Amino acid sequence: MNSHNLHAHDFAQATLNRRRFFATSASGLGSLALASLLGEEGLLAGDPPAAVTHFAPKAKRCIYLFMEGGPSQMDLFDPKPRLNELDGQPMPESLLQEIKFAFIQKESARLMGSPRKFQRYGQCGMELSDLLPHLSTCVDDIAMVRSMHCEQFNHLPGQLMMLTGSALQGWPTLGSWLNYGLGSESRNLPGYVVLATLGRGLPGGASSWSSGFLPSQYSGVQFRNQGSPVLNLASPADISRGAQARSLQAINELNRLRHERVGNPEVASRIEAYELAFRMQQTAPELLDLSGETAATLAEYGLDRDEAAQSDKSGFLGSYARNCLLARRMIERGVRFVTLFLSTWDHHSNLDSGLARYTRISDQPIAALLKDLKRRGLLDETLVVWGGEFGRTPLGENRANFKTVTGRDHHPYSFSMWLAGGGVQGGQTLGATDEIGWGVAERPVHVHDLHATILRLFGLDHKRLTYRFQGRDFRLTDVHGDVVDELIA
Amino acid sequence: MLVVEWSNRWFRSVALIAVILFSAAACRQSAAAEESIDFEREVAPILQRRCLACHNDRDRRGGLSLQSAKAARAGGESGEVIAPGEPASSYLLDLVIPHDETAEMPKGEPPLTQQQVESIRRWITAGAVWPEGVVLEPPVLWSLTPLRRPPAAAIAEQRAGFPIRNAIDAFAAAGHRKAHVEAAPQADRRTLIRRLYLDLVGLPPAPAAVEAFVADDDPLAYELLVDQLLASPHFGEHWGRHWLDLARYADSDGYLGDAIRQHAWVYREWVIDAINQDLPFDEFSIEQLAGDLLEAPTLSQRIATGFHRNTLRNTEAGVDLELYRTKEIVDRVNTTGMVWLGLTLGCAECHDHKNDPVTQREFYRLYAFFNNADEVTAAATRPWEKKEYERAQQSWRPAWEQLVAELADFEIDELTDEQKTEIEKTLDEQTKATDLKAIAEYYRTDDPDWSAMRAKVEQQLKAKPVAPSTKAPVFAPRTKDRRETHIHIRGVYNRPGEQVHPGTPAVLPELQPRGSTPDRLDLARWIFHADNPLTPRVAVNRIWQHLFGVGLVATPNDFGTKGAEPTHPQLLDWLATEYRRRGWSRKAMIRLIVMSSTYRMASAVNAVPGQQDLGNLALWRQNSLRVDAETVRDVHLAASGLLDTTIGRRGIRPPLPAFVTEVGRSVQWPVSEGGERYRRGMYILFKRTVPYPMLMTFDAPDAAISCSRRERSNTPLQALTLLNDPVFYECAQTLGRQIAERHPDPDDLPAATDEIFRRCLARPPAAAEREALIAAYRDLHRLARQGDEAIEPAHDPHRAAITAAVRIVMNLDEFITRD
Repeated sequence: MNSHNLHAHDFAQATLNRRRFFATSASGLGSLALASLLGEEGLLAGDPPAAVTHFAPKAKRCIYLFMEGGPSQMDLFDPKPRLNELDGQPMPESLLQEIKFAFIQKESARLMGSPRKFQRYGQCGMELSDLLPHLSTCVDDIAMVRSMHCEQFNHLPGQLMMLTGSALQGWPTLGSWLNYGLGSESRNLPGYVVLATLGRGLPGGASSWSSGFLPSQYSGVQFRNQGSPVLNLASPADISRGAQARSLQAINELNRLRHERVGNPEVASRIEAYELAFRMQQTAPELLDLSGETAATLAEYGLDRDEAAQSDKSGFLGSYARNCLLARRMIERGVRFVTLFLSTWDHHSNLDSGLARYTRISDQPIAALLKDLKRRGLLDETLVVWGGEFGRTPLGENRANFKTVTGRDHHPYSFSMWLAGGGVQGGQTLGATDEIGWGVAERPVHVHDLHATILRLFGLDHKRLTYRFQGRDFRLTDVHGDVVDELIA
Repeated sequence: MLVVEWSNRWFRSVALIAVILFSAAACRQSAAAEESIDFEREVAPILQRRCLACHNDRDRRGGLSLQSAKAARAGGESGEVIAPGEPASSYLLDLVIPHDETAEMPKGEPPLTQQQVESIRRWITAGAVWPEGVVLEPPVLWSLTPLRRPPAAAIAEQRAGFPIRNAIDAFAAAGHRKAHVEAAPQADRRTLIRRLYLDLVGLPPAPAAVEAFVADDDPLAYELLVDQLLASPHFGEHWGRHWLDLARYADSDGYLGDAIRQHAWVYREWVIDAINQDLPFDEFSIEQLAGDLLEAPTLSQRIATGFHRNTLRNTEAGVDLELYRTKEIVDRVNTTGMVWLGLTLGCAECHDHKNDPVTQREFYRLYAFFNNADEVTAAATRPWEKKEYERAQQSWRPAWEQLVAELADFEIDELTDEQKTEIEKTLDEQTKATDLKAIAEYYRTDDPDWSAMRAKVEQQLKAKPVAPSTKAPVFAPRTKDRRETHIHIRGVYNRPGEQVHPGTPAVLPELQPRGSTPDRLDLARWIFHADNPLTPRVAVNRIWQHLFGVGLVATPNDFGTKGAEPTHPQLLDWLATEYRRRGWSRKAMIRLIVMSSTYRMASAVNAVPGQQDLGNLALWRQNSLRVDAETVRDVHLAASGLLDTTIGRRGIRPPLPAFVTEVGRSVQWPVSEGGERYRRGMYILFKRTVPYPMLMTFDAPDAAISCSRRERSNTPLQALTLLNDPVFYECAQTLGRQIAERHPDPDDLPAATDEIFRRCLARPPAAAEREALIAAYRDLHRLARQGDEAIEPAHDPHRAAITAAVRIVMNLDEFITRD
């Protein structure tokens, strides 16, 4: 195949399009046997769709661990001894020209070292800070990129850039592109699911998983990690399970009569959609039911920790650990793309305690997720991406109304992200920043390059995965992006 | 795989050999034909039709133009392409000779025919003579050809079942003949009345209206119904919502701040009113683009400029405000291009348009029109707001006057007249309790009853109605510090290139400015210039689209090279001229179209047995369409009788679970109370980062960019929403209660199912449907009586089962489909 012919604008079919939420469906028209569905386990996998890829795919699924707010790279992944030495010194003026900050007062800004202790781990000897004791046991599966860079200085433009390849609202997110390009492998769940552990909310709200100008069925579906997982999944309180099943049967029976009468394929799609909806009602709650997981697994994710049971904001660990475990369960059930948002790493002040808190929430569950995937043989085909929208300044943030300097400002000019699994060459640290961690010194990787690389891991050429909109063939990478070959195993 | 590749290769070599053999033969032939080759008759049309779209003097793809002899001889980036007399060394031939049925050129299109290749070869062999002075013109995009009124199609024969009611039908019938299809029969009266209601006012007909129409044998009944609906104030709501899609209307800024635009609704109300009054489309448009520049503009004309105030706005701390200001202007140019001209101008933001005749310079000349529009507000308190305020005051005042009288009992004894006047004045102007401090010394504040008195006063003051002060976002011409406009090199806003002045693309009629510096008003009037072929085509195509689901041009915002071509070019042009002829009356055009037999055809895919063309390109039937997101809500509310039909005004917030509203930053979602909760879908407050999930599930646009065509997806999330959304279930319960009360006797089930069908689908059930629903009712009755481990037995199983039956019908495809 040398062209990726995915244009949705088949005009002749404009009114006949059988829009689908799931790209595949095992059930045909009229084949519904509700009684058997009621008992069906609903575990995994219809036939994989006949996806058109440009290269042999290495990754089939992705878990994107989105660290909203911009985590501080020099306190986590990128040790800067020289910065520590220069602690309290002003920045070389040459570096400050042309630079703008959200809050830092340029004139009186001072460099700020990191109190973290770094150490080498694993066979590869990757350096990590003492805030990441659990992740340090997974480094040989991880490719650390210390030379990420971007132009977007503010949260939402930065997040949109990272999620959609454009700083403007209205573009499709990576998960939408992948589902558009590859379809979904899940019979009973959406192909693109979002779980959020929220501090003060996401700047982009639902734009963070929007399908933008792609058809809406490629949009992410927000799941809750407790109760009823999807909006409107639960039947009304006074409708019993039996009544729901009987109602569904009647709906489809009457829709079939209509289909016979008018022959419109949309009616057949509607019947199919109801069958799938019903199946989702049966199986999605099972997704959240962790009673089948062993105590060892729950403990590995940290779900046995006391704080995991707390429901207030200090109970984030519980929420995040649960989301990590659910991500694995979704991957097992064929979900193509799972995004876990963790908000917020926006540490303008109280950086040390903030980082301690957010790593305490996330370090153990993330390491557990990597190990769990690996143990189950899922890591090979599951790409895991960790990153925020940008990093943080080597300068301390001396905001006008701050009494003391305890945090860092936004910094898109160099920051770190990591990838694992899904065909990524683990055990490497790619790129480098300069000695104070201001700019990229070696092997710059732009966000567009990262996107090009992720698509390549899925067997897609970022230049050929296009969608025609407003007279133009749009791409995730716009008109940019180079695949980072070093990252691919 | 290997076998396939090998055989492919084999095929290719065979094909190649065939070509070579054939060429050799042709060479011999051409010697004889040499003398007779006529460039202008045989070669020029090929170049013109197949090459010049890209290889013209303006675009020069690959450096090559084939417009003139000189340019053709000069060749392109790869050097000469024509070697006169030497076909074998002419690169042009290499490029166009097909291998495996594809050729390098014309790029991305079917190759030339053998005969065409031969003509070119013969011409080259004969010395590639290009007569003096012959300059070829690049092909003109169909949409840019002058708009002329085509003669009405000849009517060969009136076919029974497809009466020719107006010119539309004549064109459609000609299309049927051409495509060898038979027109579907006219739809039955029940389908027609529901179709008209949903298309014109976006609401379903009440059962009584259906029965009256079905029983009415007046031949004018249909026409009268059309007129009645066009006159309905709900017409402006439904067609206003179509327009709001184009206007990317939302009630918040978007981006991180996503602040609520408190008074955005004033523009929405303007749209509804303007469409209800049938403000001619030219005036309607000019006021929105440049109402502020009209002579002594009325408030209404200024409010109209809210159209371009609906752009996204980024207010995040530290954000580059100039960047986002320019992005708003870019959006205004793009939107103007798509909405009125059907041109994807956005492609020229960074470079010359790759397909359509718009240069980057021309893009920024259009940009210049919008670069000096200031964003201001207009005091726009609506008459209904004032009335609402007066009413509120009237109900507030008596209690307040009573309190003032009671207060007098607490006055200290020795007050002077002056002090008494001061008290009177202060109390009269009271807005908040703290104001009382100024006169506190005149009262016996040590009285044991004082604190209770004071509390009553405070409470009453809190309830004091606030005078409305509505400020509509509008444009105003920038008079001071007017901005210069420069080309943004590669679209980067802070890389200014050449300075440009306001102007319009060269391929369209010339701008006729009123003064020396053209302004937005000149641009707006130019859009409606009598010789502008795009505007009427684009505008009428959208009306068609809303009445058939698909436009005559399937890409309503792209009438360019890469857009779809019209399925019925003559019909489109006839309608376009007709729109102008009828004074740009939207209602007149809608009336014309819905009166046609073409509109009134049945929509069933199998309406004509055995007929192909499932895509209905030949318009042999109506299309069956799932209604828009807002209408999905409206049909539920209307069928249950819950609908609040208030028109216009502020938006509402229906209940939403916290996990939906919490994803955004500090989202306040105070739920609307009372009947307001049941207002139409178009009034649901649209917060860009937290869009109302039901609307998005049914493909409402996200209001980031102008939307001229909605998707119509069909998903399990829609099924879950229809089944379980609390609002929809409340509708089922409400209608269920009514039906159960009117038909309390379980022996009355046929009548009950009949009524459910009539209320929801505007028709009685067929026998099989009635049976199926009654059978479901019986099972559901039993299940309700029994309950299960999670659910108590229902205390009124009849009502529970009827409600469940209503829920079933409200979940049918037909309920949310306009047939």
